[in-house]
Amino acid sequence: MTDHVTLSMGAGGKQTAELITNVFKKNLTNRFFTADDAAVLPQPDGQIAMSTDGFIVSPAFFPGGNVGELSVCGTVNDLTCMGAKPLYLTCSFVLEEGYPISSLEKIVSSMAETATKCGVSIVAGDTKVAGKGQVDGCFITTAGVGEVVDGVSTSGAFARPGDAVIVTGDVGRHGCAILLSRAEYGIEADVASDCAPLWNPMSEVFGKVPEVHVVRDATRGGVGTVLYEIAHESSVGIKLSREKVPVQSEVQGVCDMLGLDPLYLACEGRMVIIAPAQKADEIISVLKSHDDTAGACVIGEVTDEKPDHVIVETVIGTETYLPEPGNELLPRIC
Amino acid sequence: MSAATEARDFLSSYDGKKVRIMEVCGTHTHEIFKDGIRQILSPQIELISGPGCPVCVTPADYIDEAVMLALEKNCTITTFGDLVRVPGSEKSLADARADGARVKVVYAPQDAALYAAEHPDEDVVFLSVGFETTVPSECLAVQQAIEKGLKNFLLLTANKTMPQAYLAMKDATDAFLYPGHVHAIIGTSVCEKLRDDYGISGVCAGFTPSELLVALALEVKGLSKEKPFFINAYPRVVKPEGSPKAVALTRKYMEPVDALWRGIGEIKGSGLALRDDYADFDARKKYSLPHITGRDNPACRCGEVLQGKCTSAECPLFGKTCTPEHPVGACMVSSEGACSAYYLYGRQ
Repeated sequence: MTDHVTLSMGAGGKQTAELITNVFKKNLTNRFFTADDAAVLPQPDGQIAMSTDGFIVSPAFFPGGNVGELSVCGTVNDLTCMGAKPLYLTCSFVLEEGYPISSLEKIVSSMAETATKCGVSIVAGDTKVAGKGQVDGCFITTAGVGEVVDGVSTSGAFARPGDAVIVTGDVGRHGCAILLSRAEYGIEADVASDCAPLWNPMSEVFGKVPEVHVVRDATRGGVGTVLYEIAHESSVGIKLSREKVPVQSEVQGVCDMLGLDPLYLACEGRMVIIAPAQKADEIISVLKSHDDTAGACVIGEVTDEKPDHVIVETVIGTETYLPEPGNELLPRIC
Repeated sequence: MSAATEARDFLSSYDGKKVRIMEVCGTHTHEIFKDGIRQILSPQIELISGPGCPVCVTPADYIDEAVMLALEKNCTITTFGDLVRVPGSEKSLADARADGARVKVVYAPQDAALYAAEHPDEDVVFLSVGFETTVPSECLAVQQAIEKGLKNFLLLTANKTMPQAYLAMKDATDAFLYPGHVHAIIGTSVCEKLRDDYGISGVCAGFTPSELLVALALEVKGLSKEKPFFINAYPRVVKPEGSPKAVALTRKYMEPVDALWRGIGEIKGSGLALRDDYADFDARKKYSLPHITGRDNPACRCGEVLQGKCTSAECPLFGKTCTPEHPVGACMVSSEGACSAYYLYGRQ
């Protein structure tokens, strides 16, 4: 096999078979992984959740992760938001002609490692090769099926006045890491992506507090955008305390230089959880016992004042609206 | 936060004579809204947002020139992102881009020079706007272009300087909240001169909530004494001598010219343009651009907002036809613009 991706690897013949054997099968082996046209899978007992997401991050390798890890985390976390244990994933690759096989191998082995970490099986895949310049390196789409935990029912429309608003760690690191990994900003700072699959800690939360109302991963647009979505969908106000929002000091520094608010930078391993206030301590104590959510804390509350708005209590104790996101010219981040 | 707490209490409970303070800097405007500082001020203290957002004071004429360079002269326009959406007489640069113009957003003028080096077949124009804080990096880009022997890197200048604007705006306010970053470059002797020669008062302020509260309290206390004053309340960054290196760089490449401020009009000697020695880098000269007189939307009251003559909410377009998504006036485009801050942070 050559050391780079060729158009013939997407043509379905011998070279395709070689690529599957030497890169995909080698890394993704599990009892469901199929070379047939579709994977045939045992049926779960409960309701199923299904989701899909495309990943075109530039650059594909960034501090704290790569597009492969991201593509598994993204779909696993989407399923997790609905209280669903991720069971099966498929992955579809669009590769640029000439892409180094060694980079592809790193991406696929990261996918395998991340999938193993959260107990999900990658069961089928597809590869297409586009001509040089038609795509940028390696684009991945994953789709996933999960089994909804009995008794859990989450939705962006379920936030209720009095609920607590929790984030599972410091915000904005993924978006910041991607910005910094592009030379065009000319800034250097020690920031790694927060990219992580969150099923394990969240499954424990669902087990102990099945009545959580909303779980949403704060990806594109960050925590601020997610909170506005929830405020609109639930017709409630959300009140945040600026001082309680955890932000890594390096991330804050970069934001100050570029005039950005970390509340709008993407996270890839952070959930926003909205749950009855009396359950907040229990949720936080579960989350704190897992490495990927050790920084969990309450950042605000749901209110019946100012429905459809996110209100920020500033560091001097006054209240302003969080500006509703829009018109941001941010680069490709996921 | 004890000094700040004291300042906050003073500003809330102040019941002396009514005072008007102009925050000159766009970043101050943004931070004051973001921190909700207006909410704690006694009704006797009025804050007005002055002309310190470079995007807001860039006239339609300038956008028209840039659009002409992009569409008629086939130049590549490189610019800070905010300018792309500022309305010109007919088109914004975003409209020009939709018509096929090459408009690239960059984060520093040096990136534009780098782009020019990598694209020798394109004439690359950087939109050189901004105050004393931005000009040195624009001069540095010209210096790099000279060092690299670039013949295709040009500036379209609309840079502005603050001291003349203070004089032009002095009757609109009782005192200025001077922009800390500008005075970190030009120093504070100009503020002392304004105090001594013209009786203009002001405090040089930093940007954190505590720094802003303390500076505002100093303003109000100073105004009660009825004697012109200047206080540098941002000494950790602003030194009396400023940054001689940055000033020297600016002087080497640029010279003062009269400048048009959107909504305010011409202020003598308040602009900067490339010196004749560097005419090869001047887009206006290379392309012999005609004099353009731009047209603003006549209903837009940005000019009066910038002079503290009306608030954003008093403009008939505010929040209706003019929003951050569809800005009519420049003050709604930049996040540092008074109208944009007023709109986004809940119309305090």
